[in-house]
Amino acid sequence: MTTSHRHRTTRRLAATAVSVLAAVSLAACGSGGSSGGGTSGTSAAGGTQDGKPVPGGRLKIAFWSDFQSCIDPNQVYWIESRSIDRNLADSLTDQDPKTGKIVPWLATSWTVSPDATSYTFKLRQDVTFSDGTKLDANAVKTAYDGLHDLGAKSTLGLTYLSGYKGTTVVDPSTVKIDFATPNAAFLQASSTTTTAILSPATYKETPEARCAGKVVGSGEFTLDSYSAGKSAKLTKRAGYAWPSSLIANKGAAYLDGIDVSYIAEDNVRVGSLTNGTIDIAWPRQPITSADQQVIKASGATIETRALPGIIGLLIPNVTAGRPLADLQVRKALYKALDLSSYAKTVYWDDYPVAKSSVTSTTPYAADESAKLAHDPAGAGKLLDAAGWALGSDGYRHKDGKKLTLSYLTNAAGPGDQLVQDQLKKVGIDYQIKVVTAAQLTPTGNSGDWDLSGGYLTRADPSVLGSSLDQAVSKQYTAKYSQDPATAAKISALFAKGLSTADPTQRAAAYKDLQDALIDNGVAYPLYDRLQTAGVSGKVHGFAWTSESFLRANDIWLSK
Amino acid sequence: MPRYLAGRVAQALLVLWAAYTVTFIILNILPSDPITLQLSAGGADVSQLTAVQVHDLKAHYGLDDPVVVQYFHHLWAALHLDFGMSLTQNVSVGSLITDKLPSTILLSAVAVVIMLVLGTSVAFLATYVQWRPARMLLARLPAVGVSLPQFFVGLLLIQVFSFSLTWLPATGTHGWRSLVLPAITLALPGSAMLAQLLTRSLSDTWREPYIVTARAKGLSRWTIQVRHALRNASLPALTLLGVVVAYTVVNSVVVEVVFTRNGIGQLAQQAVLGQDVPVVQAIVLIAATLFVAVSLLVDLLYSLLDPRVARAGRAA
Repeated sequence: MTTSHRHRTTRRLAATAVSVLAAVSLAACGSGGSSGGGTSGTSAAGGTQDGKPVPGGRLKIAFWSDFQSCIDPNQVYWIESRSIDRNLADSLTDQDPKTGKIVPWLATSWTVSPDATSYTFKLRQDVTFSDGTKLDANAVKTAYDGLHDLGAKSTLGLTYLSGYKGTTVVDPSTVKIDFATPNAAFLQASSTTTTAILSPATYKETPEARCAGKVVGSGEFTLDSYSAGKSAKLTKRAGYAWPSSLIANKGAAYLDGIDVSYIAEDNVRVGSLTNGTIDIAWPRQPITSADQQVIKASGATIETRALPGIIGLLIPNVTAGRPLADLQVRKALYKALDLSSYAKTVYWDDYPVAKSSVTSTTPYAADESAKLAHDPAGAGKLLDAAGWALGSDGYRHKDGKKLTLSYLTNAAGPGDQLVQDQLKKVGIDYQIKVVTAAQLTPTGNSGDWDLSGGYLTRADPSVLGSSLDQAVSKQYTAKYSQDPATAAKISALFAKGLSTADPTQRAAAYKDLQDALIDNGVAYPLYDRLQTAGVSGKVHGFAWTSESFLRANDIWLSK
Repeated sequence: MPRYLAGRVAQALLVLWAAYTVTFIILNILPSDPITLQLSAGGADVSQLTAVQVHDLKAHYGLDDPVVVQYFHHLWAALHLDFGMSLTQNVSVGSLITDKLPSTILLSAVAVVIMLVLGTSVAFLATYVQWRPARMLLARLPAVGVSLPQFFVGLLLIQVFSFSLTWLPATGTHGWRSLVLPAITLALPGSAMLAQLLTRSLSDTWREPYIVTARAKGLSRWTIQVRHALRNASLPALTLLGVVVAYTVVNSVVVEVVFTRNGIGQLAQQAVLGQDVPVVQAIVLIAATLFVAVSLLVDLLYSLLDPRVARAGRAA
């Protein structure tokens, strides 16, 4: 046998195969990377397309994941499920995505007590749930009590109904919702999917059954089937006639139905859009500029809208003994971070730069960019003054200890590496500590980290409280980000924002809060959050809700 | 034979018990408690609950018992095919598995058929064809097949057959058409391994004295290959087949994610990331059962194909 010869040939062939493969995959990477700086203009929001709406057809939409595996609007926090829910269930009010103003929906009018503890809603008379039950004050009471009863099962409900005392039926078409403590953000909460009013029969089901799809709403679609992580099917509700004033189509939906699927792989989702298998590709992370070009080349468009709520934040751990306990070091960190190159590098050229702790589409968002300017020299000076001297290894040291900041995350991305690079330039050793999703909360609670991340979607600045207000939230981000003196200041500002229903006073309170978060080094705005969706050319009337969810009332498909 | 069988079955049960116990121990050593996991899966934080609420939850899930009691409780339940409730999804593990297992089994079964046909044909041709370049090419092909990552193959197939040619769907679990691409992707590494081993084994067999005898008797190449060489050469390949069949379930993790198929593989991926202990435990047990069952089957086939094996077992 000529074994040695054989082996050599095998090895040579294998080597050739490997190099061919490497070349192919490198070429693939190259084409992805090189088109990064291309054009990335986004089309104007839908709703204004020309042509007369044609009824019929089913809209096929693919999200990326159904991690929470729950469809009950009252219980979900998962953005994608809330997009589906918005088309199944209606709320007392709606919020204008352009102005942030609250407008009538199931409630025709309302009054708010000056101290923001009592809300009285007048209801529409002509609304029925899809099981035939009429919407009246009793149904609203059942729904709000039911939401409150969910307790910790509804993360969002917990904050939205903070201080909930109860709902009173004043007359069949009037309800009064009372709070023990001021909750000025509640009017906005009444427009969200979380407080959607479901049929009284729904609240007789267990929370688990509701999660699995036993929900009946009054929306322009009804839920036919929901299979967690796999699919959801919606059918249009004939005779629907009570959309909010924001919607052009006053009657039943144009679409016959909506088919939801979940495609985890970006490539596959984009390919499915360009080959016409799906009509809308809706990922969580912004569609990369390379994929945007592929999508546009196929005749589809990219719809974009900043998600309202907490911006992509870094939140410090200021526990004594840790490097960030020193306000000077925290201030240096603002100067060391280059937010505009973050937006450009991680996303694309015109990507909005983070300006405050809430995103630009959040009502009362302030512009703090002057305080967030990139100034590496200034950062160096502050760190020098704080006693952190630059060593020969390029990092700063104090009392023999290296200036190391460990960042806690469960999914490190290119942005984290960019931050690592930016901080290295001023001599900070940024360690990315990746744990599994399951380990995130326990590790966070242990306090063994210097920076952690966070974001949450809600079109009201009070949402920051869920991560940062020690008086309300027990999250580790709130617990570790402020010393007692700062916490007292911050909580007072949060309370002030919630204690008045007057928009001017709220604006002033939240401006002060956003200033204070930066001045005290409590939150580091890092990146704005854009919701992007690839939308096929045959889809018309695409619209966002104020929380950047899907609004399907006006959507129609060209034949 | 019955004694041999009884011994093998007892061994198989022991392996299953060990797999269950080791998983239980590993998952319990991990530094996090199920209540925190469950709450964070629902987006809530354990620190938002009062001590009484936490205690009630623990009691509800039987987590306030000592670990040893929990172990026997779970083991007893598992013997009755009751794996408890998923921590991250509000349903029983049993219903999750029965919901997702059929599509994975179907995928694996089709993949195994493709694997057998592809692997055997390549090996058969590589040793049967007499034109040297073709022989060489066929004999080297498996090396390429083994070195291709499944992730890459899957995306490539989707790009070509779904997006460019639009012959087959890229995602979903509807109908036989959605089964083709994932099954091929899943079958490729296994069939390459099978082909490699069978080629080697066939060419070794061709050098055996009894093949020379057969040729001397004037039998055609075809008859020798089919009647004599293949049967004898297939013994080592059968062992390998046992392993790769079980691997199809393991590899379905990658394939099901790429092709968006809602099966056990995707469930395993989610459960591991979410540290959903009962689900992980059930999946490990299913995979272990499969391994054990297939290798038992292979051993039994072995004794059918080669009577010496059973006789050796009796002698021992």
